[in-house]
Amino acid sequence: MPDLTCRDGVEMLMDYLEGTLRPPEREAIEAHVTGCPRCVAFIESYRRTPSILRAATAEALPADLARSLRRFLAARRASGDA
Amino acid sequence: MLPVAVIADEDLAARAAAGDADAFEALVSRHEARVYRLAYRLTGSDADARDVLQDAFLAAYRGLASFRGAARFSTWLHRITTNAALMHRRARQRRPAESLEEFLPRFDADGQHAPEVAELRAASRADDLLDEKLLAAEARAALARLPDLYREVFVLRDLEELDTSEVASLLHLDAATVRQRVHRARLMLRGYLSHLVGART
Repeated sequence: MPDLTCRDGVEMLMDYLEGTLRPPEREAIEAHVTGCPRCVAFIESYRRTPSILRAATAEALPADLARSLRRFLAARRASGDA
Repeated sequence: MLPVAVIADEDLAARAAAGDADAFEALVSRHEARVYRLAYRLTGSDADARDVLQDAFLAAYRGLASFRGAARFSTWLHRITTNAALMHRRARQRRPAESLEEFLPRFDADGQHAPEVAELRAASRADDLLDEKLLAAEARAALARLPDLYREVFVLRDLEELDTSEVASLLHLDAATVRQRVHRARLMLRGYLSHLVGART
């Protein structure tokens, strides 16, 4: 493969990280990244993004909600609406 | 009698469909936290997630007769919750989402990363450099700003960690579209978070 640009690498990044690229493409990315600190930093931040979001949105069930959910369901059943 | 705690979801669903209220209560207890978390991620607010939680369990209760154990109960409930969340979002009058497109990566004419070196270096360590609470708040704000199209796939695939094929089937998309949207969502969120770090260093 001819030399890759950063843009090419970003386009293939998801496949690269999942290990689904064909060897020539994988090697071309690795050759580029070896000489490109911007891509190294980019890949690192791309890779971390899902886990940052996952941790930030792991909301616990609010304490009052379990009770109000049951009240709601019981009321709908009692009214024959459920 | 077999303790409820050891009965499989699918068997509890069959009992609940036959009118066993305790069996349905056991299903609610097992799944309410996960349903709430998914609803929160899809809608972006506690108030909306509460409504979706109620809608989802009501729909599940009404749909018990149609649940035949072809899928796992948890998969079936995920689908119901996702649909309830999407309908809820669509029904609500919302401010138009501010675009995150400006945070997509930029390249120069040669296809090289535009020079934002300080920002990019810092970005790789967003979770080290930003205060944890601030980072979490900003991450939630960024997710809420993501257009629905991207948020749905990103939440299901990257946050709930479903397979691409499961997400595709839930949202009636093909697998390539799911992957494309997940990738674009990651790029926008990454850019947004790194911009924050860049602005502070």
